[in-house]
Amino acid sequence: MNPLARSARYLRILRALAAHTLSRELAFRGNFLVKVSVEVLWLAIMLAFYKVVFARSSNVAGWNEPQYLFFVGCFFALNGLIEMLFLDNCNEFSELVRTGDLDALLLKPIDEQFLITCRRIDWGCAPNVFMGSGVMAMALYQMSWRFDPVKSAAFLATFACGVAIAYAFMVLLTSLSVWMVRNQSLMEMWWLFSSLARYPKEIFSGRWAEPLGMFFTYFIPILIVVNVPANVMVRAFDPAMVLMMLVATAALLWISRRFFLFALESYRSASS
Amino acid sequence: MGMIEARNLRKTYRAVQKQTGLVGSLRGLFHREYREVKAVAGVSFTIEPGEMVAFLGPNGAGKTTTLKMLSGLIHPTSGDARVLDHVPWKREDSFRRQFSLVMGQKNQLWWDLPAADSFQLHREIYSIPRAEYDETLSELTDLLGVEKLTKQAVRELSLGERMKMELIAALLHRPRVLLLDEPTIGLDVVAQTKIQRCLKDYHARRGVTVLLTSHYMRDVEALCERVLVINHGALIYDGPLAGVIERFGETKLVKLRFEGPPPDDLESFGELVRREGPFADIKVERARVAMVLAAILERSVVADVSVEEPPLEEVISRVFEEAEAAHDAA
Repeated sequence: MNPLARSARYLRILRALAAHTLSRELAFRGNFLVKVSVEVLWLAIMLAFYKVVFARSSNVAGWNEPQYLFFVGCFFALNGLIEMLFLDNCNEFSELVRTGDLDALLLKPIDEQFLITCRRIDWGCAPNVFMGSGVMAMALYQMSWRFDPVKSAAFLATFACGVAIAYAFMVLLTSLSVWMVRNQSLMEMWWLFSSLARYPKEIFSGRWAEPLGMFFTYFIPILIVVNVPANVMVRAFDPAMVLMMLVATAALLWISRRFFLFALESYRSASS
Repeated sequence: MGMIEARNLRKTYRAVQKQTGLVGSLRGLFHREYREVKAVAGVSFTIEPGEMVAFLGPNGAGKTTTLKMLSGLIHPTSGDARVLDHVPWKREDSFRRQFSLVMGQKNQLWWDLPAADSFQLHREIYSIPRAEYDETLSELTDLLGVEKLTKQAVRELSLGERMKMELIAALLHRPRVLLLDEPTIGLDVVAQTKIQRCLKDYHARRGVTVLLTSHYMRDVEALCERVLVINHGALIYDGPLAGVIERFGETKLVKLRFEGPPPDDLESFGELVRREGPFADIKVERARVAMVLAAILERSVVADVSVEEPPLEEVISRVFEEAEAAHDAA
């Protein structure tokens, strides 16, 4: 099958999976509405908190209020997209291994990583993507931003890279479930990811914080996930950082893919 | 070349030995003990295209592990296998499109949605052309009598109905090889019979190659002419179903109806299993059946007589017991 036909097939399957999960979510309407309400409340609390901070200071770590607002929107949209597409699927993987329900997925004539990590879309997180986008649009309006095709393209590319980097980390941790069976590290990692990625990397200054910031920028590049796209769009366009992000994305996707396939080779399948 | 070939297939696991109690658990954090479990210990067989073969053995004998290796879910420790001329554990798409594994204790349908939705998703994943999909779905729902149930949420179906839906999902892409792991487990006799009939009809129509494990000998008798028997990971019999009875069924059941009351000394001919009014059933060693019959007919007036093979359950149970004894002795 040529790459174009293959991509079209996978898109069709993704569309079908999305439709199925939406039907499923709508069957449990109450749960869906509660989840969306919680996310709206969470965004409102975050925005109120930053409003309070900026009422006492004109900038935080070199970011002025609209810039910071854009950063928050970018984080919210990116985080929402990852939670919507991958978090539930990756989190469920250890349970699939433990119960042996992974068997049914491995038998399908389709890429295992695709099916395992994309089979369910958490529609309850979809509003986060829209709300984050709305916050970004509001920030751009506040700073009277003028459309710049290069910056916009670089933002979209680095935003996609941010999603891919977070996905690669998830796949790496998820793969460990094959050996560990019970694996709660994914949620711990996601908490760490959310905590680190939601702040500008400039806050890591000072004797102890700076090495930590370097570590999470160059060694485990969580800090670049939101910082680079937000910087590209509303602050300085740093080509070196963009290039580093592209390289880090390619490398992490490749490593996580190899590790996932290696892990599947060790899959034992639970007794029936 | 066979449709399914296994050559000296072995699978050995390292199982953690957990020590009991809190102290044992703490010790286990630093020092783990493992035991080597030989799940499959060098199994070889060939199944020709269109054959329907039963794979029998007690719990833990290695049946499911063998099926999992043949379907590519797990890698063998050593040995080789070919299914549809593919190495199963390479899990090539071209291989996975041509076979199905149905596990009676596992569910592959979307629990909260109607089975029809899962079938549609299946159509997308297997790229089944619309016309072929409609034709196969109609054929299968008709065979299993579940036309009206496909739009009901799977979680609301009974076990038997759910199993029928699982079977439909497994057959929608018209597999050439079908691996069935206890497909009728927990089902009532009516559902069992329905599934047996469906498999039989489907096999006759499409010539699919089937390897079936089941603890219900009724399934085996209804569907398979050839039997593989495995115990402790090793194959102990490969041959016709009738041959199992011939080889391991040491006795036959002689059923007699006398003109008057049965004679008192029937125990001297074999094990008397029933004595009611004019009826008497005796288990007699196979080699002595003719002699026993002649002796009884000479001494008593018999209104009716029949000689039956022992039930398959009994024979298979004996096979397992003998294999167990041989294994323990070794």
